[in-house]
Amino acid sequence: MAYSDKVIEHYENPLNVGTLDKNDEQVGTGLVGAPACGDVMRLQIKVGEGGVIEDAKFKTFGCGSAIASSSLATEWLKGKTIDEAETIKNSMIAEELHLPPVKIHCSVLAEDAIKSAIADFRAKQQAKRELTGAAPSGAAKSAASASAE
Amino acid sequence: MTDPFDILGVEPRFDLDLRALEQRHRDLSRALHPDRYAGAPAAERRLALGRAIETNDALRVLRDPIRRADALLQRAGIARGEEGEQKASPALLMEMMESREELSEAAKRGDPARIARLGGAMRAREQATLAAIQAAFAAAGNDPEQLKGVLAMLSELRYIRRFLDEVSAIEEELADQT
Repeated sequence: MAYSDKVIEHYENPLNVGTLDKNDEQVGTGLVGAPACGDVMRLQIKVGEGGVIEDAKFKTFGCGSAIASSSLATEWLKGKTIDEAETIKNSMIAEELHLPPVKIHCSVLAEDAIKSAIADFRAKQQAKRELTGAAPSGAAKSAASASAE
Repeated sequence: MTDPFDILGVEPRFDLDLRALEQRHRDLSRALHPDRYAGAPAAERRLALGRAIETNDALRVLRDPIRRADALLQRAGIARGEEGEQKASPALLMEMMESREELSEAAKRGDPARIARLGGAMRAREQATLAAIQAAFAAAGNDPEQLKGVLAMLSELRYIRRFLDEVSAIEEELADQT
């Protein structure tokens, strides 16, 4: 099976490989795996003002298609709001990279990683709100702090 | 007939006697050998050849613990498809990610001792997981609910295998360089 030029491009020059501080409250980390082949993928987003993704990094141990899928995903994530990021579908990644049917699961993995990074970020924000909103006037306060983010 | 246990006529269980299995395969292969069918009608010859191929495939499946376990689960009606695919626990994923990062660091530095240590630790883990799978099969009997518990261990074994494949690839690469 031949890899498409786009897969090879991302595989040879992967963009945004690296790590963000997973303890930073602005950082969401998604860690996913493909049970069928044993590949693992970590994708991180750093979310700034207005829920805009300022930075995205990944580390993938897997085949060329898995690396290319996560590389492309991080490129697409930067500059998007997390709500926009959530609309990224595996089929869009597969189409962009011309993935053959046997490699579609690599793009599924990337979509899972995006979703799981967003979920992690939201869980952190939720925990933060619960902490700051513990006072009696909590509801109003937490709503205010949420809209200020 | 596609069940490898049925094809080779051995009792379906995880802890197979591999030597008996190979012996059974040899006997069947001899009986199905094309020389024996040299004078037989074409249809019969084709049938024997097809069965010989089936026999070889079945042996390959049963020799490999992961594929053997898959075959056992399939007999019990538990499919490993997308739905049945177990999501690995976050702890396992975290551990595998860290091990893979450590391994890739060791490879970058060209540190064969460290690579060997990481490989050794993971091989020990492979043995422990295989033992756990064997125990789980023995305890589960034909209970489908209990058999489903094996799926998570099998998925763990795949991550371990993937790591060990990587160790072999790195070791080969290092050997080529020297």
